[in-house]
Amino acid sequence: MKKKTLGFYLRIYFKILAQDLKSKMSYRADFIISTIGMIFTNIAGFVSFWILFRNFPSINGWNYYEILFLYGFSLVSLTPVQCLFDNNWSLRMYVFSGDFIKYCFRPINMFFYFQSEVFDIKGLGQFAFGLGTLIYSWVKLGLGFSPLMILKLCVFLLTASLIMVALQNAAAATCFWIQNSFYILDFVTKFKDYAKYPVTIFSAFFRFIFTFIMPIAFIAYYPSLVILRPDNVPVLSWLSPLFGLVFFFLSYKFWMYGATKYSGTGS
Amino acid sequence: MKLKKYLALTRAGIMETLQFRLSFVVMVIGNLLYLIVVYFLWDAIYESAGTDVVNGMTFSDTLIYLVLATALFNFMEMYTVWQMGRAIQSGAIVLDLLKPMEPRSYLFWTYSGNFVVNFFSTFLPTFIVVCIVTHGAVPLGINLVYFIISVIMSIMINYSIDYFVGTICLYTESIWGINIMKQVIVLLLSGATIPIAFFPEPFKTIAMYLPFQSIYNAPLTLLLNGSPDIRDVAEILGTQLLWCIVTYIISKLFWKVSLRQITVNGG
Repeated sequence: MKKKTLGFYLRIYFKILAQDLKSKMSYRADFIISTIGMIFTNIAGFVSFWILFRNFPSINGWNYYEILFLYGFSLVSLTPVQCLFDNNWSLRMYVFSGDFIKYCFRPINMFFYFQSEVFDIKGLGQFAFGLGTLIYSWVKLGLGFSPLMILKLCVFLLTASLIMVALQNAAAATCFWIQNSFYILDFVTKFKDYAKYPVTIFSAFFRFIFTFIMPIAFIAYYPSLVILRPDNVPVLSWLSPLFGLVFFFLSYKFWMYGATKYSGTGS
Repeated sequence: MKLKKYLALTRAGIMETLQFRLSFVVMVIGNLLYLIVVYFLWDAIYESAGTDVVNGMTFSDTLIYLVLATALFNFMEMYTVWQMGRAIQSGAIVLDLLKPMEPRSYLFWTYSGNFVVNFFSTFLPTFIVVCIVTHGAVPLGINLVYFIISVIMSIMINYSIDYFVGTICLYTESIWGINIMKQVIVLLLSGATIPIAFFPEPFKTIAMYLPFQSIYNAPLTLLLNGSPDIRDVAEILGTQLLWCIVTYIISKLFWKVSLRQITVNGG
């Protein structure tokens, strides 16, 4: 068998993507409403910070624009999980109904094929809003501008998103063992909302949990320190790309392990 | 005799919910973690403020308010919009229309079992934990009676709004987008994200004139006030009653008008 190159996978990816977009476009109203809904959620997050800072000058030494920076950063870094890995939400239904077996018979990577089937366009609305917030707070904070900073930003945004992807993969994969993984997925998804706060507000014990066990501190806090407080970057921030890759790899292995265990429903 | 048929649905609901014990555990853990995050976040916020009372609310007031708002939210969450939306999309709505009970009451009573289970599994434990954590800052007296009356009306208002939003699905065939918009508006304007007392001026007045504040703000205001003035209580409960009736009539009429719109493919 010929070795499958990256180009091969990319070509397949865009082919599947085109099909998905075509089928989505037949529900145009749904697409528009969903995008508006997504932006609504983001605006609500923005408004709640605005209200909060009308009453309080700062949170734990973080001012309004720094918190907005964290918020924008978390929204952008959550885009890949929203856009590219949304099929995880349907995994439990495929497994439950037995339809999952179709993925087992394709001559390409199961994980790749499954995730490539759905592209969630409404995540792009979130991306635009997050980027806007990020730029707004960047300008207000007067962080300056250099190509190196942009490069750092891109690298750390990417690795931050790997963490969330990893969390979601692992949560979705639990459905190979338990019947209803919706609650676990929902739980993890709600959890990402706490990523927008600086982890320093927690006590040492919970800081440990949110760093190593439920690593949400890596979604926004640690990586954005590199840009926000360049003079005082903790080691964990520099290590966050490594953590991203490790967590992603572990979740992928876990997902695949579950998938190979899958025995179908007999239909 | 009439109540008996409804209570049968409640019983079935309780049994159904108890089947999924794991989801139960996950929900309780999720709630606890949420409690912890809210605790640390507002602790940090109040510490930065330097004063004990902000907008007439102390730290424990805010904590009780927000935590119980979430507990109420989890307790009242009926997934009505999803249920209706799916029934409309799949055509199963036809079966609901044929039942010898109004679809509105049928849906409500099938969920009433969840209310019972959720009350004991999420609301009550959260309430007790909050009582202990805040060292008895929750006044235990006549206000509990007002609170319970108020919550019953909250459930009704919440259900009417949900039913209204679910009916919109008849026209749009979009569930996710519609539901998320509703959720965001309700959570923000009802004070569940940030207490309404913190809203800056024109928004506070606007929020008080909308039906959403009757869902969470009204019962929680009643609960937090240990020695209530009977006139205030009458005003809050009266407003709730008014919204109860108004939202009931509107959602009922909207459903009636919309039913003519329905198209079912096969079913």
